[in-house]
Amino acid sequence: MNEIEQTGLATMRDSWITGGTSFDLAPAAWKEIAGGASLDERERRLLAIAAQALDIALRPAAPKTLKRRPVLPELALPMLPERLRPLLRAALKHAGDTRSKTRVVSLVASRGFVLHPMDWMPAVSDQNGPDVYAPWIDWQAGADGEKHTRQEKLTAENWDDFYPAARRTALADMRRTAPASARQLIETKGSGEPAEIRLALIELMRFGLGADDVPFLKSLSADRSGKVRELAGRLLARLGEHGQLGDGGPEDPTAELAAFIAEGKSGFIRRRTTYTPAKLKSPAQERRRAELFETCNLVDLATRFGTTESEFIGAWQFGAENDADILVARMVAASGSEAAVTHMADTLVAEGGKPALFVLHLMPRLDNRRKRVLVRLILKDTQYLGALNLAESLEASWLEWADLTNGQTLPMLRSAVAGNDDAVKRGVDQLLETMGFLATAATAEKLIGDVVVAGMAPAAPSLGLLRLNASLAEP
Amino acid sequence: MEFDLKTIEALAPDQASLSAASRLTKQSNWPRLEKSEQLALLWGECQGSGSNPYRVVVDTGDHGYKCTCPSRKFPCKHTLALMWIAATTPASFAAAGSTPEWVNDWLGRRRKTSPQPTGPAPGAGGKSIGEISLDDESTVVEDAAAVERREAAQRKRTQDTQSAVSAALDELDQWIADQLRLGLAGFVDNSSDRCRRIAARLVDMKATALAGRIDEIPSRLMGLRSEERPDAAIRELGKLVLLAKAWRSTPGDAELRRLVSTSENREQVLANPEAIQVESIWEVLGEKIETRRDGLVSHSTWLLNLKSASPQFALLLDYFPASAGRRSNAFTSGDRFDARLVFYPARQPLRALMTDRKGDVPSGEWPDFGFDAGDPLAAHVAHQDTAPWLTDCPVMLPPGAILLDDRGAAWWQATGDPHGIALPIADTVNPTLLGLDLTATAALWNGSRLDLLAAQSRFGRLDLS
Repeated sequence: MNEIEQTGLATMRDSWITGGTSFDLAPAAWKEIAGGASLDERERRLLAIAAQALDIALRPAAPKTLKRRPVLPELALPMLPERLRPLLRAALKHAGDTRSKTRVVSLVASRGFVLHPMDWMPAVSDQNGPDVYAPWIDWQAGADGEKHTRQEKLTAENWDDFYPAARRTALADMRRTAPASARQLIETKGSGEPAEIRLALIELMRFGLGADDVPFLKSLSADRSGKVRELAGRLLARLGEHGQLGDGGPEDPTAELAAFIAEGKSGFIRRRTTYTPAKLKSPAQERRRAELFETCNLVDLATRFGTTESEFIGAWQFGAENDADILVARMVAASGSEAAVTHMADTLVAEGGKPALFVLHLMPRLDNRRKRVLVRLILKDTQYLGALNLAESLEASWLEWADLTNGQTLPMLRSAVAGNDDAVKRGVDQLLETMGFLATAATAEKLIGDVVVAGMAPAAPSLGLLRLNASLAEP
Repeated sequence: MEFDLKTIEALAPDQASLSAASRLTKQSNWPRLEKSEQLALLWGECQGSGSNPYRVVVDTGDHGYKCTCPSRKFPCKHTLALMWIAATTPASFAAAGSTPEWVNDWLGRRRKTSPQPTGPAPGAGGKSIGEISLDDESTVVEDAAAVERREAAQRKRTQDTQSAVSAALDELDQWIADQLRLGLAGFVDNSSDRCRRIAARLVDMKATALAGRIDEIPSRLMGLRSEERPDAAIRELGKLVLLAKAWRSTPGDAELRRLVSTSENREQVLANPEAIQVESIWEVLGEKIETRRDGLVSHSTWLLNLKSASPQFALLLDYFPASAGRRSNAFTSGDRFDARLVFYPARQPLRALMTDRKGDVPSGEWPDFGFDAGDPLAAHVAHQDTAPWLTDCPVMLPPGAILLDDRGAAWWQATGDPHGIALPIADTVNPTLLGLDLTATAALWNGSRLDLLAAQSRFGRLDLS
């Protein structure tokens, strides 16, 4: 379409918009085609020509504001094979919440694959998914260019070349292998970062935490951010370092917390010290006690009673009051030393029964061996199978068939599947989902066969993750 | 395994059906589960809430099915459950030596999608469509006078229809002239009422297809930004003028009759020697299911010929009443199969019927279509040159990417675009798509917007429909 035609079309268009005839405004060539007819027919012919001109002669111009997102980075692991994507999507669809979806993703990663980006993408805030997705988290966060390379080692010089998630992953790795180097980096570069990022960086100090970290963590007591100071205090407490000990007066939170705990003696021959929760008189007291357990450190509390962390835990009477037990467990998880954490886990697991379930609160601090011991205990016991669904920080794909046959788990599952109790069946569904995450491929396959024989619908959605698991070859 | 969960999921009319089906996958619900590999059939009897078991038969070749339950959902939960069992525990089906009577009965009555090569021999045992039509013919031959009467009545009906349609197009012409006189600004603002009125008149005058098209103009206009609507109105009305003129010049033309009044039926298309037949490997690009103002749901399945050197598309189009609920999908996006398609005769053949689906083909990349740096809408121009009344045109776009403008609207643009062209996309896109380089993109272009169907990228095939 030439310029005359374009101009003609624009004026005709304006005329038609407001209403009226456009013949006189049409380009000469168009008039020639449209002429020799009634007034209405001429307009219709011009309309037809205009329609065709708009359709084939004009193209939408690219707006100047068009912006291209950076290319989605490729990940270090290969994509899940196409044939398994329907199973994966079924498992993701059945996984109701972010935590369940993360389990699906973690299972796939444990078998050496990543998901297709159109099937699942990590959220910007995702810190629980497999590390392999860090480049996609940074991409989601709006990272606007190629910066880091995976192979490159993080240093003070290339600090800014890493996006936050990639930097976090690199630092966590470094803390595990060379904690001093990582600490120096955090010390050097962290001070220039905003409080939120500083907090995330200090949080990484939990990996490979050791006595060498004490001076740096102590230096953080002067940090501008209260949250950073609090976190540093907890990390110091884990190393057995006391926070600022109070004067024991009414303003001292540790003393206030100690007042909620009753010290007693038990045993006739060998008198032993015991700690039990003091009886509370009001919900306000309950709330205050919970706050104090959250803000105080275990080491300070133990010191207040003139004992060590391990002795305090050993003397705590688990089972006296469930809420208080949970608060103690959380306190140990947050600020207990490694020795205190393992002592509590080993003691309660050895005791078994309900007290062992408090170890679930310690999961993020436990090594994989202890986590597995706890899971096996719960499976063997079968009384609290539902608690497995609450377990955090579990690793995927290790549960063997023998772990299921070493107790009453399978008979219990079979009977629940065959029964008619809907509530029990819902519990079974959740458990099977958890099994789908924990089991090896061989275990998953056997378990599917077992529950189907017991009467479960072969296509039951709750078997989705187990099916995906069974289909994924071990790496 | 003839079914996978993906297919079943796609076939299910809703989530509730899937859930209900999953509860029926216990084998205790199915006293009878049998199969015939030879006939590619599965059937079973499901003990439902009624006194008699529900009988379900499924054709694994084309996913056709029948269940005797009274559900208005298609496929019903029993059908889905049977497919589900087939997908997960195919060994549950016992091989049957012969098919039960009710399965044979269904086979005889159903509208098979496979071709009837030469027509079965008269007197053959099993019923089939071919046999039925032969029966009909034999009845007709016996009464020549009745044939003559019927043909005369048919001719008269055709003439009456043509006269009515001609009058309808005269009325449409006048209506278009009125819109121009009154101003397109007013037309755009009141398009819903104005189009409804003329569409009703056209239906009365047997220009049914044209009426349906005009009924959809308002929603097409409203899908655009206000400043784009006058141009779109010019395009829509101008195309109607062109279509009316074309019909008047050749009222017997099958394509034009289809666009203006009614479409020929399946048998007529199959019997038409001008209907092009293409046997090839086809990939399902995507489906579009739209509820129209006239109460019909249009179900479009777009296919791509994987053996063609240049992009060749096919459209499988069905209409059904919205009141019947969602119709089952026969395909899943990305499915590939070897099939023969028969195209409705047209200047740019697109709409087709599947007559013979032979088997599924593994997925993979699309052929290399040898894109050049020319006009990405060249295929659209070619369509418009031969059939300027068409609105939607399938296009295969060269390597490119999806970008956002400052309003957050998505655009497709060719890699290293030398022309300053970008094509606006009809809907919002999955944000992940913004980070992918698309090596080829299949889409529908309607003159204003791009409706994405599928694409290829380094992450493989992307389902965008």
